[in-house]
Amino acid sequence: MLKVDGLTVRADSVELVHDVSFAIGPGERVGLIGESGSGKSLTALSLMGLLPEGVAASGMARLGDRDLVGVPESRIKELRGRKMSMVFQEPMTALNPLMRVGAQVAEVMTLHGKPRHEARARAVELLERVRLPEPAQIARAYPHQLSGGQRQRVMLAIALANEPGLLICDEPTTALDVTVQKQMLELIAEVAPALLFITHDLAVVASVCERVLVMYGGRVVESGPIREVFTRPRHRYTEGLLAASKLTPRGTRLPAISGSVPPAGRFPGGCVFRNRCPQATPACETAPELTGDAHAFACWHPAD
Amino acid sequence: MTLYLVKRLAVLLASTAVAAVVVFAFMALLPGDPAEIALGVNATPEAVAELRRQFGTDRAPVAQFLDWAGGLLQGDFGTSYVTSAPIGPQIGDRLGVTAVLVLGGMILAVVIAVPLGTFAAVHHRNALGAVISAASQLGIAIPAFLAGILLVFVFAVQAQALPSGGYVPISENPAEWLRSLLLPWLSLGLVQGAVLTRYVRSAVLDVMREDYLRTARAKGRGSTGALWRHGLRNASIPVVTVLGLQLATLLIGAVVVERVFVVPGLGDLLLNGVAQRDLLLVQGVVMVLVAAVLLINFVVDVAYHLLDPRLR
Amino acid sequence: MRGRMNAGLLVGGVLVGIVVLAALVSFFWTPHDPTLVDAARKLREPGGGYLLGADKFGRDTFSQLMVGARTTLYVGIVAVGIAAVIGTPLGMAAGMTPRGWLSELIMRVNDLVFAFPALLLAVMLGAVYGAGTLTAMIAIGVATVPAFARVARAATLQVMVTDYVLAARAAGRRRPAIAFRHVLPNIGSVLIVQASVSFAIAILAEAALSFLGFGTRPPTPSWGRMLQESQELLFSTPRLALWPGLAIALAVLGFNLLGDGLRDFLDPKLRRIRAEG
Repeated sequence: MLKVDGLTVRADSVELVHDVSFAIGPGERVGLIGESGSGKSLTALSLMGLLPEGVAASGMARLGDRDLVGVPESRIKELRGRKMSMVFQEPMTALNPLMRVGAQVAEVMTLHGKPRHEARARAVELLERVRLPEPAQIARAYPHQLSGGQRQRVMLAIALANEPGLLICDEPTTALDVTVQKQMLELIAEVAPALLFITHDLAVVASVCERVLVMYGGRVVESGPIREVFTRPRHRYTEGLLAASKLTPRGTRLPAISGSVPPAGRFPGGCVFRNRCPQATPACETAPELTGDAHAFACWHPAD
Repeated sequence: MTLYLVKRLAVLLASTAVAAVVVFAFMALLPGDPAEIALGVNATPEAVAELRRQFGTDRAPVAQFLDWAGGLLQGDFGTSYVTSAPIGPQIGDRLGVTAVLVLGGMILAVVIAVPLGTFAAVHHRNALGAVISAASQLGIAIPAFLAGILLVFVFAVQAQALPSGGYVPISENPAEWLRSLLLPWLSLGLVQGAVLTRYVRSAVLDVMREDYLRTARAKGRGSTGALWRHGLRNASIPVVTVLGLQLATLLIGAVVVERVFVVPGLGDLLLNGVAQRDLLLVQGVVMVLVAAVLLINFVVDVAYHLLDPRLR
Repeated sequence: MRGRMNAGLLVGGVLVGIVVLAALVSFFWTPHDPTLVDAARKLREPGGGYLLGADKFGRDTFSQLMVGARTTLYVGIVAVGIAAVIGTPLGMAAGMTPRGWLSELIMRVNDLVFAFPALLLAVMLGAVYGAGTLTAMIAIGVATVPAFARVARAATLQVMVTDYVLAARAAGRRRPAIAFRHVLPNIGSVLIVQASVSFAIAILAEAALSFLGFGTRPPTPSWGRMLQESQELLFSTPRLALWPGLAIALAVLGFNLLGDGLRDFLDPKLRRIRAEG
């Protein structure tokens, strides 16, 4: 359903995302993980045509039979909110503070052709569907009267309103309290059609997704079914992420990967991870290809 | 909202009352005695005392103030010591002229600034946006009276298309009235428009970076549509505040512009009053101008609350 | 952006520099006596030692402009000084006790003073004491106090919630100590920017007041009065209005650009607290 091939994102001369390829089938749930600065969000935003000013995508991305990259905004905007939707990280600022919540949910439907009164009624249903208590009352509220968790549910209601085929969630629970996070994840897992779920939290991916893409330095370094990637990581970066994550039992947890993510454009040539990789050798100065079918990885010295 | 309105109204009334005390106290500190000034140096003490009694300036300051303030409430500004004419009607006549001048200038400023500022924000990365920013920066540096002189030079001296000054009442000749006000309006409007353009630009720029605009685009709006539907009302909140401050600035700017174009408004009345040492008249006009500034601030605050549900 | 020069700062600095230089040099030397009335040179055309010509009294325009720069800076410095000296402590006090009665009182008085623009104050002062440079400076200064107080308050509020101030308060330091040791140094750059912007406004106000006859009195040259005197000759000798007009506009532009440039130069965070105009 979604097919991405050779997606590259640039800001001026700096390459932020390099040659990313993946596909998501109908109803499939795919996680996209990596530290901040790895290019996850830019990948998602380029699919939605929402890249910030001065940042441009090239390559191929197709939703059904519609091209997403390299087409004018007038062509892609009719897909947004109808065929694909996105929920963002920061619920506190994602809603218009001057507009009632119900109207903001209804807007996404009237924009794509639903009559106003129908959209209003359906907005309340949607608020109920995302398990907001007293949906009719919430529809009349302004965003500042809701909590962060409630606002994120409103965002989800907006995203689901037109029954899109693909839902993209960019760290949707990062800004929420832990207890609220769990409810939100359960809700997303329950209502999402095909899903591209972006997070840096491996435990979250494990609970929501079937397949995972690991990104580092603007590249996909490993991909495959969750179970396989998480139990038998091949790329050294994935290995490091897992070792440092909550998925590894306390006590056997290894220290986090040494060093920090370089700023955009400062990644080393060849394998982007080699300056932080304990296994790096001169061979790593040549960029490794992403190889393998179901479980693919791009590493010269893979873990077993 | 109602509670806020009541509170804010109380603040308006209180500050107007305090302002009245300040204005009165200021003018009462005068070294000169109106009666002595009116009669000249050769007057007998008896005549001065008599006139003082007529003016009421022989009473205690508090009594004088209460008399004056009580009159203000009924629209009575007292009688000029110099011309013996009642002051209220004069202020009434002139107030209309100044109000038309200020409102026309304001409308012009808004009509210039909103599209230009928005355009400059949307195109902030290219040359045209930069040109608008530079032009508005230049406009801010030109005071309204200098703009007036420049306009007179271009439109009256060079092109000879418009009068260089003077005023024709609308009841006399509407077309000439319009012609006589065009240059004063432009002087006020162009300068304030330049100031406002900068604020509109920065408000729209701030809004363009907001997450909710991205949300609107994720719903399927184009960037222009998102800005139009979700951005402009948000951007209007800071702009309304500036607009209020500007209206006050314009009111004062009008005083000067009236002098440039010989328009018989409040400013003209005020400056003539000072020239003739007609202090009760000056006191009245200053009070009206100060009250107008306070009223404008009140309207702005209320508008602010109406626009932003977070404050309700 | 700290420490990086920008075009605005450079242009603003150069324009302000020219005004300051002209003012300083005018103390020692001007091409001619700027106040010397000479019927023989009446409306003399530019040239022959009279770079910009002479006005209707035969006074040399260039010399008048130079001394006018002095008047402008003098009024600006005193007015902004008054505003800064009164407004800054008031704003700081209001910002350090944000919920107290003192803060409320200061801000209310501030709002009230705000309703008395420089021009009205100058007219009132002028009507009572007779107009002059002094009344103009006081009026502009007092009218500028609210802008300083508001900006100082906003900046103080921000500084008061920083870790180092919270630590100092937890350690039991008294308010005046905190004000001098922590708050003032940290709001200094905001105040410098405000001073520059206020200076531009003071120049505008002085010009307007002199134009109306409520500012600098003759024979002391002033750009605003030069404009006023030139107005009646606009049809015959427009250059007399051109030069003082240009001087005012460039000086104001210079201080505005300097203020904006300093804001970017000193700290990008400052953009949040806008100088008030």
